[in-house]
Amino acid sequence: MKKKLATVWLGGCSGCHMSLLDIDERILEVAKLADIVKCPIVDGKPFPEVDIALVEGSVTSDEHYEEILHIRKQAKVLVALGDCAVMTNITGMRNYFPLQEVMAAAYTHSPSNDGEGMWPNHAALLKLHGKVLPLQSVVTVDVVVPGCPPSADTIFYVLYELLNDRMPDLSTAQKLKYG
Amino acid sequence: MPIITVYINGQKILTESGVTILEVCKANNIPMLTLCHLKGLHDIGACRLCLVEIEGVNRLLSGCTTQVADNMIIRTDTDRIKRYQRITVELFFAERNHVCAVCVANGNCELQQAGYAVGLDHIRYPFLYPECNVDTSHPWFVMDHNRCIMCTRCVRVCTQVEGAGNWGVMNRGHDVRIISDFNTPWGESITCTDCGKCVHACPTGAIWPKAVAQGQLTKYPEMIGELVEKRKLLQ
Repeated sequence: MKKKLATVWLGGCSGCHMSLLDIDERILEVAKLADIVKCPIVDGKPFPEVDIALVEGSVTSDEHYEEILHIRKQAKVLVALGDCAVMTNITGMRNYFPLQEVMAAAYTHSPSNDGEGMWPNHAALLKLHGKVLPLQSVVTVDVVVPGCPPSADTIFYVLYELLNDRMPDLSTAQKLKYG
Repeated sequence: MPIITVYINGQKILTESGVTILEVCKANNIPMLTLCHLKGLHDIGACRLCLVEIEGVNRLLSGCTTQVADNMIIRTDTDRIKRYQRITVELFFAERNHVCAVCVANGNCELQQAGYAVGLDHIRYPFLYPECNVDTSHPWFVMDHNRCIMCTRCVRVCTQVEGAGNWGVMNRGHDVRIISDFNTPWGESITCTDCGKCVHACPTGAIWPKAVAQGQLTKYPEMIGELVEKRKLLQ
């Protein structure tokens, strides 16, 4: 029975997904053991029930918050992929400042803005939280993979262990890396 | 110095008295995690990573500031020590704003190495996200308090080796900060000799030369110990 695998991209830069693609032809070995049923380029809104969910990025807004709660319900194993998901990393650098100051810096004082200092507030846009949170402060995370991004070897190691019903241990495998 | 016997992790070791547990471990190739220790500087036991268990003593003691005594039974590898070491490194990360991805010291950082050594994969404590200054007033060097772990290696090297006494420590607890002179910009210091020893002594990316980019910082902390040894030859 093939496992179901899904990846999702919250508050991050997609670099971890790029690194996932860097596993190159080893994706065929993953494909033997699992179907990738959802990823940022797969259509279809609701996150399906899966065995393994790789979550890139931190929780920065109301949309991410609801999404990660939903993913937690749908996924048997939730993997926090990359430094943003594990310890907020660059996305958390705005946590030292009040949100108003951050918005003003981006949309009012930035030399590249439209000159009027309009803040985007369309109803369809996500609403930023005051503080960016790592995944484990919102939901229970089963596996953490730090790194900015984690190397392709590390991601493949984690995936391969999980697909073979083993728990990856990055410390013993000497694959820990931050930044 | 009289020769005494100590037992470290069950291994019988003969050593001179008057030396620290850390020195004995180093001499006998027993691994010991350190951060605030730097050869050539006085040890102060600030980082609490070199913790040891000593039979008959309830609390953990720092190996770098505890001297050996005859028939001392020491353990450096228990689960209790490993647990505390991991907690300590996690608190270093949670206390300031360590963003490895944008740091000059990425890949060449003693805090990262300590994290790998204790198997740190995530931080279980809430991040404090304190607002920290970045002092760029010095013509060549930057002091970034976001990345400082308060090991005070810069303070000690400035006082004990350079003899300038530019760096000091201000406040307590979360608010503790390294200061230049009386908390004035580094570039306006009247004591700093621009020697750059603190740059090499710093274990993280807190003090770095302006000429380097992300992940490009190379440091040579061994230089401090070598300098101290060379000076002894001149005396």
